[in-house]
Amino acid sequence: MIDFLSQWFPMDFSLLPNMVQDTLETLAMAFLGSVFGLIIALPISFLAARNTSPSPILFQFSRIALSFVRSIPEIVFGLILLTTLGLGPFPAVIAIMFHNIGVFGKLISELIEAADPGPQEAMKAVGSKTWVANLFSILPQIWPNVLSQFFYRFEVAIRTSLILGFIGGGGIGQRLFNDFKTFQYSSVSLDVLIIMIMVIIIDFLASSIRKRII
Amino acid sequence: MIEIKNLSVLYAGNTEESLSDVNLSLQKGDFICVLGKSGAGKSTFIRCINGLQKPTGGEILLDGKTITYAKEEDLRKIRREMGMIFQHFNLIPRLSVLQNVMTGTFGYRNSFKNLFGMFTAEELKRARSVIAEVGLAEMATRRIENLSGGQKQRVGIARALVQQPRVLLGDEPVASLDPGTSDRIFTLLKEMHERLGLLTIINVHDIELAKRYATRIVALKDGKVIFDGLPKDFKEAEYQETYESQSADAYFGAEI
Repeated sequence: MIDFLSQWFPMDFSLLPNMVQDTLETLAMAFLGSVFGLIIALPISFLAARNTSPSPILFQFSRIALSFVRSIPEIVFGLILLTTLGLGPFPAVIAIMFHNIGVFGKLISELIEAADPGPQEAMKAVGSKTWVANLFSILPQIWPNVLSQFFYRFEVAIRTSLILGFIGGGGIGQRLFNDFKTFQYSSVSLDVLIIMIMVIIIDFLASSIRKRII
Repeated sequence: MIEIKNLSVLYAGNTEESLSDVNLSLQKGDFICVLGKSGAGKSTFIRCINGLQKPTGGEILLDGKTITYAKEEDLRKIRREMGMIFQHFNLIPRLSVLQNVMTGTFGYRNSFKNLFGMFTAEELKRARSVIAEVGLAEMATRRIENLSGGQKQRVGIARALVQQPRVLLGDEPVASLDPGTSDRIFTLLKEMHERLGLLTIINVHDIELAKRYATRIVALKDGKVIFDGLPKDFKEAEYQETYESQSADAYFGAEI
């Protein structure tokens, strides 16, 4: 073990610029995957929440659809999409997005169901359309929680995109995997260090953004 | 102005009607306080008027047109002529006073514009003047959470007034406020009622407030109207009947 880990040092900084570029690619994959997931899940959540769903059929259908995409792990989506769409970050983004639609849809529809019904009633009483009433009375209430869930899912998506890199999704994950498989341990150590720094920076940024918005 | 005919409401699962065979004629200029014990049907009654509650029998008419059987689109038009204030204010959290008041205009605006938060200058001006009228001019940009109960209810009133309503409904608007604040809220309501020539219908628990401000008192018991008349005619016997209480002296005794 010590023998193995000693091969990790000293770190090899010669490929640092390429690694940073791959890291940014990983960040972009995770970010796009979770942002698109959120954008698509938000309207579906209103269909999948008991109190805002326009019809019971739509409610059941969207619930089942959300469970379905949520039950499939990203790696399975990744394997299917990377095979059919080709290697690279695009299929990885789609894989992350699909899984996140399922996760956000469940979390947000539960937040909608738990929202205070008073403001919705007041909006109805002023004569606004039902969907406008729902949107304006519920969204401000759930927004902080949606945001913190988004940042958490973004963090998860970073880790996921590393794994997807292993199967050819690009980014720092793929580089880490390749360096490992080719015994470039002095590069592996730097890859791992960069990943740690990235996650810490994201966590810091997320909490400061959240603080400012709430 | 509002005609209530044989109104009945039976909630699913109940055997007794929450409102049974209520007949009333409400006129512009009436400041009506609805009295009754908890569960007497006061809230149900108020909520039937703007269609938040569907009756199981009878009908309510506004200027001869049905509210009860109105289509969704017509119901929205009726509702925007009726301002409503609530016990728990029902303001939208995390928004400012001004934003909350602006939501009162949602019934009048096409939804596409609503979505992007664009308001006309006229609406903004109206909202600001209403906020000033309820005495919150300096707080227009404050968040709802930072207001006291009385101030929140003032925002609720402003939201109702920005609709430019003809009818003002209040579902126990002062039940969670202290006596002094309740009194000031009623003073404000009465002032607006007179200035704008509204029909005002308010549920209250506080019989003293009702007697002081109402021009007409309606008492409900077990879903039936047991008194409908001038405040001065609502005496100990009526009080006893409404509240079935042996301790009416506690209130009326103090006056004598």
